[in-house]
Amino acid sequence: MATTKAPQRSLVLQRRETLVSYLFLLPALFFFVGFVITPMAMGVITSFTDASLANGNHGTFIGFTNYIRLFQDPVFLKSAVNTVIIVVVAVPTVTGFSLWVGSAIYKMRAGVRSFFRCVFYLPVVTGSVAVVVVWKWMFDKYDGLFNYIIGVFGGKGLAWTGDAKLALWCIILILFTTSIGQPIVLYVAALGNVDSSLVEAAQVDGATNLQVFWKIKWPSIMPTTLYVAVITTINSFQCFALIQLLTSGGPNYSTSTVMYYLYETAFRTTKEFGYADAMGVILAIVIALFSALQFKVMNGGTTE
Amino acid sequence: MTEKNKRITPYQILCIVILVALAIFFLFPLYWIVTGSVKEKSDIIIKAGESVKWIPTSVSWDNYARLFKSQTELFGMKFPMALRWLFNSVFISVVAMLLTCITASLAGYVLAKKRFWGRGVIFSLFVCAMALPKQVILVPLLSLVSSLGMTQSIAGSLFAVIFPIVGWPFGVFLMKQFSENIPSSLLEAARIDGAGEMTTFLNVAFPIIKPGFGALAIFTFINAWNEYPLQLVILTQSEAKTIALGIAGLQSEMSNDFGLIMAGAALAAVPIIIVFLCFQKYFTQGITMGAVKG
Amino acid sequence: MNKKRLLALLLTLAMALSLAACSGGGQGGGSATPTPQAQTPSGGDATPAPDAPTGDQVEIVWWAFPTFGVDSGYEQELANAFMAANSDVKVKVETIDFQSGPDALTAAMGAGTAPDVLFDAPGRIIEYGNGGYLVPLDDMLDALKSDLTSESLIQTCTGADGTAWMYPISSSPFYMGLNKEALEAAEALQYVNLEGERLWTTEDFVKMCEALRDNGPTTVPGIVYCGGQGGDQGTRALVNNLYSSSIVGEDGSWNIDANGVKALELLKEMYDAQSIDKGSDMAAADELQKFQQETCAMTFCWGTSNAKSYATEDFTQISVPFPSDDGVPELEYLVNGFCVFDNKDEARAEAAKRLIAFICDDATWGPESVKRTGAFPVRASFGNLYEGDEEMSLLASWTKYYGPYYNTRDKFAAMRTQWWNMLQRVFDEGNVQAQVDVFNTESNKDAA
Repeated sequence: MATTKAPQRSLVLQRRETLVSYLFLLPALFFFVGFVITPMAMGVITSFTDASLANGNHGTFIGFTNYIRLFQDPVFLKSAVNTVIIVVVAVPTVTGFSLWVGSAIYKMRAGVRSFFRCVFYLPVVTGSVAVVVVWKWMFDKYDGLFNYIIGVFGGKGLAWTGDAKLALWCIILILFTTSIGQPIVLYVAALGNVDSSLVEAAQVDGATNLQVFWKIKWPSIMPTTLYVAVITTINSFQCFALIQLLTSGGPNYSTSTVMYYLYETAFRTTKEFGYADAMGVILAIVIALFSALQFKVMNGGTTE
Repeated sequence: MTEKNKRITPYQILCIVILVALAIFFLFPLYWIVTGSVKEKSDIIIKAGESVKWIPTSVSWDNYARLFKSQTELFGMKFPMALRWLFNSVFISVVAMLLTCITASLAGYVLAKKRFWGRGVIFSLFVCAMALPKQVILVPLLSLVSSLGMTQSIAGSLFAVIFPIVGWPFGVFLMKQFSENIPSSLLEAARIDGAGEMTTFLNVAFPIIKPGFGALAIFTFINAWNEYPLQLVILTQSEAKTIALGIAGLQSEMSNDFGLIMAGAALAAVPIIIVFLCFQKYFTQGITMGAVKG
Repeated sequence: MNKKRLLALLLTLAMALSLAACSGGGQGGGSATPTPQAQTPSGGDATPAPDAPTGDQVEIVWWAFPTFGVDSGYEQELANAFMAANSDVKVKVETIDFQSGPDALTAAMGAGTAPDVLFDAPGRIIEYGNGGYLVPLDDMLDALKSDLTSESLIQTCTGADGTAWMYPISSSPFYMGLNKEALEAAEALQYVNLEGERLWTTEDFVKMCEALRDNGPTTVPGIVYCGGQGGDQGTRALVNNLYSSSIVGEDGSWNIDANGVKALELLKEMYDAQSIDKGSDMAAADELQKFQQETCAMTFCWGTSNAKSYATEDFTQISVPFPSDDGVPELEYLVNGFCVFDNKDEARAEAAKRLIAFICDDATWGPESVKRTGAFPVRASFGNLYEGDEEMSLLASWTKYYGPYYNTRDKFAAMRTQWWNMLQRVFDEGNVQAQVDVFNTESNKDAA
């Protein structure tokens, strides 16, 4: 990777610089290695054992058994598919929608702009736990808000989170509300940075708004779009509290994600820690790949 | 940005209408929590055939009285349990914020400005781990902090939540971005003047990366506040719970007391919203500066 | 192992440092300062933890499910009374709920912060005992043996290897609750037998549900909740009684037989005919709440403690046994009891055992505790605590219909997960036999 570029500096100076750098890095490395890398390594090791609550977390080495079992476990596969659905649906909608909101509000007066930015950011700030109780009520099959509104218009209520076909969409809807805040802020900033002389020149030349958007604005906000896509992807992978509090992965695992199934396996059902860790490892690998992509995107393909 | 709109087009009107409708939709859960927390029971529960009471018919603080009924001790004083939870949330967020600011600014600075052996590897490691959800290490983290004995005391278990948050490399990454703006010539000049490394950092680098602090601080604060899965498995004693955990517990324990749940949810949501609104400017700045740098 | 130790040491040191640095805020709560008997790392071979200094108080933690009723404060009363009599022990009471409590327990056991005393039922306690997390209570149970109201109770308190893990206090049946006014409004009360032991048949149950559906006093007649484990014994009792089936096969494995299939088919038919609803996102607590709010007219998870927690003045709640084809129910029942976690500290374990003995056997608090659970004493010497209480003598008359107790059987936890998922599939996909086959295989599968 990045080889140290050593100009005409003495070896002593260079050694001193390295020492100083590591002293500065020490606090960060302490927490990083101690509480991120170490547990990660422990997780990898445990994933090759059959540790569980039943054997007091003292597992014996069982090789790749957990991993083989994962790919034969219908619930895991279903959870993996759900995770993919969430990502595949959430990423384009969140990106597209926040781009629309961003372009709709970035030219507005500062006060109005920050009002909307705030409103869309609030669900991110409050987190899922506090508001999930309201969502639960809104989705209630018998006396929930949505069915009440449907009823007012004479329609027949839906089961929402109780319906295996709808439940995942309910989750995605809430996830959507907690995900678009950050992209909107990013787009407002990015669109504000678009060179206005270019836009004006194009308008003088008689370009339509749509042409201006695609030909001038779109290319210059491309990096932002890529970034938004990546963070939304990662965000969607992490969706957990919502599922834990709202549907417990049901009905019939229709809202179970890899993350939730990991938690359920470790703490709720069979309490097999080794098996749960194997899921964590798989998830980590998949997300690390996305992370590498992000790294590439943000640095234009170089490591410097 | 100052371009004036000459005429309002139908499209713009449509935009406004949609935006306002969405704003209402987004604000509704919060509105419902806050009003619900002061509603009487008869206003909250809608039985079949009744209409929804959009606006409370009367205001009562009963729900809060019930929420604060359960008592505990804090600093030797009687203290409602719910406020203790709130205190824990604030404690976790503030400590995580301070520690992150210190560790991340030091690390980000050298990663951006120093050339040293292993820099590439370390930075790559940071970036790769950045995106990982903390949940993937949930189970091993729990056994780690328990074998360290951290979960044995309330304070210890709070730190067991704080440390992984501090360890998460996003802050380092953000501060590296900010540190790139430090002109190398200034650092060189300081060195020639014979300033020590720490002095250089504090006097030269720090003033330049200061705006980044605001961003990083508020970002970490809110992240730590909402770090639910970690709290869920590590903080099991009721006095160690955060407000989010406490509320989640109330939601299942007292599931038929909606007023109480709403009061709890309001207690969880309102303080953090106030923090956000106060520091909004830094926040927007942080998100943008950390990312838009194409 | 050595490296891990070293790392552990380093980290602890750093933690201590940062603790000192932030001591202003760090010392929240009385127990914030690490207690001297704080457990040694689970490495095992470390030097034994120093015993609590003599004269110092032993602090024990008691986690209680709302078996004495939600938010009753009775646990604290008990703790205070115990502490008054045992000045060397400090008891800290923490209440947990059936929804998130079990997860928290697992997490706490994983973290080595399990409470000292847990008030629960055999299902979980035996699981924990078999996993090696509990202190054996053989001495206490042996002393109690001669006083137990039923021999079979011993079986409910012991684990796979015959060790006693639970110290029982009271027991009561699970049954159904009905909304009397709603039934009257729907002219469905005629199908319910309110005489004597209130035994009734499957046929009448179906008719009652249909009447409720047709006359619609509530949104739905009843809800077969199947969104999770909470209160799943209620739906199992419903299914097992409709056609007198059992979920334990002759060879002792989990097995839904032909009659069980018939019962599930009936429920599926009723669901299709809208005389009953499914609750794929609901656990018992949600269903009980709907019952209390008169969204549904019956609950399948009625019991002495739920009758207290979900009491209401808006309508009359009546208790009935589960309906069955032959009119003779086979009821599930609850045994309330305590277990003591093994926190590697003799003093705490001893104090914890003293506490549970106090709660269960004290001359005044023992009977009072039983009454607070609203259930029947398991100690014959307590006699009839509910003289003249009509509802309680009705419930007492049902104890003879108790079915075999299966909550302590092998792979019970795995079976529970299969159970509610199976119900969901029955309602959503039909094809009952196929869903039952999945249940029968998956429940008996060995964990890898």
